Amino acid sequence: MAELHIDLSGKSAEELIVEKHVANLHAGFAHWPRQDDGPPALGDARWPAELILATWLMAEDGRPPGTGLNYKTGASGGGFDKLDFNFLPEADWLPDMLEPDLSIKLNKRGDGRREIEIPIPIYGGGMSYGSVSEQVMRARATAAKNSGTFTSTGEGGYPASLVPLKDHIITQVATGMFGVREETIKYAPIVEFKYAQGAKPGLGGHLLGDKATSTVAAIRESVPWVSLFSPFPFHSVYSVEDHRKHVDWIRTVNTAALVSVKVSTPTDVDMVAVGSYFAGAHIVHLDGSYGGTGAAPEIAKKNIAMPIEFAIPKVHRYLEGEEVRDEVTVMASGGVRTAYDIAKAIALGADGCVLGTAELIAIGCTRCSNCERGRGCPFGLTTTDPLLSQLMPTEWGAERITNLYAAYAFQLKDILRKLGLKSIRELRGRRDLLRYTD
Amino acid sequence: MDHHATTEEHAKSGVYHRYHIHTVEAPDRERWPSRFNVHVRKAGLAKLLIKEVFHYGPQNKDVILSRPCVYGVFGGPVGGFAPREEKCVGCLRCTTEFPDFVRIEHNPARRALGDSYFAFGYVDAISYEAASGLIPVKGAGYRGGFGGEGWDGMWTDMSEIVRPTRDGIHGREFISTVVDIGYTPNFLEFDERGRSAGSPPRTFSIPLPMLFDAPPASVRDAALPRALASAATELGNLAFLPVAALAGLGEEKLAVAPLVAPGDDLAAIDYQPRLIAMDGWDAKLHQELSDKFPHALIALRTAFDDPDLLAYFTAGVRVFHLTANYHGRGEQGDFVLDLIRAAHKRFVDEGIRQEVTLLGSGGIIAAEHVPKAIICGLDAVVLDTPLLVALQANFNDECLDRSTSEFQLPRLDAAWGAQRLQNLMASWRDQLLEILGAMGLREVRRLRGEMGRAMFMKTLEADAFAGIEGYHG
Repeated sequence: MAELHIDLSGKSAEELIVEKHVANLHAGFAHWPRQDDGPPALGDARWPAELILATWLMAEDGRPPGTGLNYKTGASGGGFDKLDFNFLPEADWLPDMLEPDLSIKLNKRGDGRREIEIPIPIYGGGMSYGSVSEQVMRARATAAKNSGTFTSTGEGGYPASLVPLKDHIITQVATGMFGVREETIKYAPIVEFKYAQGAKPGLGGHLLGDKATSTVAAIRESVPWVSLFSPFPFHSVYSVEDHRKHVDWIRTVNTAALVSVKVSTPTDVDMVAVGSYFAGAHIVHLDGSYGGTGAAPEIAKKNIAMPIEFAIPKVHRYLEGEEVRDEVTVMASGGVRTAYDIAKAIALGADGCVLGTAELIAIGCTRCSNCERGRGCPFGLTTTDPLLSQLMPTEWGAERITNLYAAYAFQLKDILRKLGLKSIRELRGRRDLLRYTD
Repeated sequence: MDHHATTEEHAKSGVYHRYHIHTVEAPDRERWPSRFNVHVRKAGLAKLLIKEVFHYGPQNKDVILSRPCVYGVFGGPVGGFAPREEKCVGCLRCTTEFPDFVRIEHNPARRALGDSYFAFGYVDAISYEAASGLIPVKGAGYRGGFGGEGWDGMWTDMSEIVRPTRDGIHGREFISTVVDIGYTPNFLEFDERGRSAGSPPRTFSIPLPMLFDAPPASVRDAALPRALASAATELGNLAFLPVAALAGLGEEKLAVAPLVAPGDDLAAIDYQPRLIAMDGWDAKLHQELSDKFPHALIALRTAFDDPDLLAYFTAGVRVFHLTANYHGRGEQGDFVLDLIRAAHKRFVDEGIRQEVTLLGSGGIIAAEHVPKAIICGLDAVVLDTPLLVALQANFNDECLDRSTSEFQLPRLDAAWGAQRLQNLMASWRDQLLEILGAMGLREVRRLRGEMGRAMFMKTLEADAFAGIEGYHG
């Protein structure tokens, strides 16, 4: 428990309650990773307790933990957890003073639109206002700004407090069009069409009525306390040609923005990707089936569409075969948990990765899966409850996510040095640098 | 409970009604162990309270008593001194805030529910589905292992944009879950005068591709057949029940498909069932049933890996209820997913798949197993142990088959039991709609044998990882 240093002067009971719990929580996030054992009920196969605790530590100081905690892999028994790198003998590693380049280009089409390059091969995935608190959105956007990258609005509108950070925010357009306005498209350096998401492929989005507060409803231009469905699919898109029309619509509203197309991972994900490219997308964002931060039917998370580890090489090879691989950026998400996962995804053929759960864990998520229950997340993350959402102060959250990104960058450079690569771009598609562990 | 029309009544009315399963909350009757154990060291809690009283002062009672749980675990009259474990959802906020004296652990008693195949996670899911009729929805992504063996090594497809329909649970367009049971000819035949020739189709339809299997011999509660038959009446599907169980049933027996073994008293079948199942092949019994019940379809219940399936077809069987054991294993140890594919393929290879109905049971214990079993080749599934779990049955050790398994049911009330089964079916049907909706299919009949819309871990992994050092397929 935290030492009691709370200044009582002139504070309301609510303020004192928030301060008390925030202090206790922050002390707890620092305490548990330093114990021999974590909380006994923490963790699962994808995110074992060690990995959650290691992420808390990285979010604290921006470096990989030096405590022996496994910060590289989960315990899922497959996919990224079965892959490792074939590092060079130590004598062949690049010297420490050489800083490998982690930057990637997001516009490879050379079409006169913005030439956006991000210094790390990661950005934040869509989490809508309503599914997460405004504090969380601001923290993520501030961290994106600190790290020179982006975060996505998700499909829930664009709170006014995000406007000062607009150069680091991707505006998402999804089927419900919640909160999509001309100005939010014009703000955006990148506009993301969400066709599907990995956590619930083919099912659309769903915000439970309890979370659709009057503020959330106002931004989404809907009725308070009524459940909101973002139906699947776009009912105006039944072909690649229709999709092209959609992309053109965005390109007309914002003549400089890049267009990202977020899709799930069906059997024909390769053809979906190439179709997106030919429709004009700068970024094809593949969202695999094991990720997701919001509430989703259990049956969907486990059973619909393929894991990202299998989708990436399929798409990479197909785009190569079509001779367009170097004209489109492929971003991967859906179960990317660590810097090692990021590097493996890139070695399998992605250009970079999109993160969601890892960011939430950095700011206190224990993966208890109760995001949708009652008032929402008891840690103040996936909630719109006015009291609970104060449990995650924006500045603290921004610093934690920035630190996590720094820790990932540190590790990615380390991985590249050990592989003898000077740039993350050299790692793309280098399956020969991977080994399968059994 | 309000009366609402059953599927049968709707059918008789001649007016179209969209199929709907009536759900009513039916909470657990037996108190199962809580999911988590909550340990609070009382001395630590008392010390905290004293410290906070001094720090905040008595005027800030609300601050002092503000508890680190939003689910009410510490909401009792004495708060953390007597935590309400049954309310704990394992969020771990309390132990994060107070690691010195609060400890949350998984409850081993809860995890011991079920058996080695019917793991507690499946029990938990069914318990929720049977109580609420809802689809389990949770946040924070998938928590399990990567793929796996059996059902877990299979994913269903989704359609990104090209999509004829969208219904799921949101109800804009209709996805049919009706399946036909019986015989249909491969093609129409006409005589030289252009009149219909050959065998006409003999089928009946049920509104969802799920039937109920006969319970194991160890469960003798007379309320169980009533619960199964009543639920089947409401749902419009069928419950297989032994002939001996018919005696205690009234009108609801119309939804029963008698399971007949040689030597059974056929006089006990005092109505015209739509379907009768023979428990194992017996040519004489087959003839006797065909003669005595000319309007009924006669199904054969036999093992998936019975080598004589085609011979039974030749002998006139058109409806097969193929079985694996409760752990989904065939007599040679093969898993039910492979057994279904093999049985389906045998009929496909002979060019007679369209002429038969394949029902299957064994190892189908979760909502996702239903579409997967149908993709592999079944027309409909027959549910066994999930029904017992919905009724809060406890497993005595490993439960492998109907004849040897020992289940203990709580004292059963047939109306409660029927509602639990309806709720379970409502939840599973809605989840089936989710899968069909994601795939862009309008009806479950089109899902049968749609192997091109399934993805298997072995194939995907080989495609993705072939050539990577150490990967050998």
